[in-house]
Amino acid sequence: MSPDQLVALALIGLAAGLLAGLLGVGGGILMVPAMVLLLGFDQHVAQGTSLLVIIPAALTGSYTHYRNGHVVLREAMILAIGGIIGAAVGALFALSIPEDLLQRMFAGLLLVVGLRMLLPRDLFRRGRPSARSG
Amino acid sequence: MRMRLVGIGAVAGLMSGLFGVGGGILMVPGMVMLAGFAQHRAHATSLAGIVPVAAVGAFVFGRADSVDLLAALLLAVGSLLGVQVGARVMDRLSGENLTRAFGGFLVVLAITMLVL
Repeated sequence: MSPDQLVALALIGLAAGLLAGLLGVGGGILMVPAMVLLLGFDQHVAQGTSLLVIIPAALTGSYTHYRNGHVVLREAMILAIGGIIGAAVGALFALSIPEDLLQRMFAGLLLVVGLRMLLPRDLFRRGRPSARSG
Repeated sequence: MRMRLVGIGAVAGLMSGLFGVGGGILMVPGMVMLAGFAQHRAHATSLAGIVPVAAVGAFVFGRADSVDLLAALLLAVGSLLGVQVGARVMDRLSGENLTRAFGGFLVVLAITMLVL
């Protein structure tokens, strides 16, 4: 990798971390498209790399919360039981489909997440009556 | 409640493995709406749950040679610095406008990805 690319990667990480700290949104949603669009990474490699980066980020973040008494460790473990199975299935499926299809699916995810953040919140509440009232 | 948590974890894990993201975007609202968690607690707990989930995903991608270790190291260094700064300036910025601006940015990214 060229020095420019190395600097770009550190800056992408900085931006992703900044947003994660500000908005509580994980960095992956920004890191993956940045790697693909700015640095020409393969979609699969961008996703695998993003997952590896998320480990230390989530670990340090949850340690801070844990010290402040906000993490319910038992619940986190129960969550992870389902999560581990889902992650294995999802990752194997992602690896089994061609890159351009995976990229389109990722773009679809970005669109949904982006629109949810962009549009005012009450728009969703009005459109979808709560389960309790119905 | 326990089965609901397993279910939320499974759906979020599927999304995490499929798209290379943490899955918190699904876990947090899921825990708040379906399992009765307070927002802050859901956020903190999901972050802890993401650690093993991302580890499994990274392992599967790594076995298929789809992880760039040097890139991951640089991204991790940047993001660990960024998250400290972000958490510190969080109180000074208006949450809603920032969320909208980022949402708009993601929509632009999505369109770019679809067109390219």
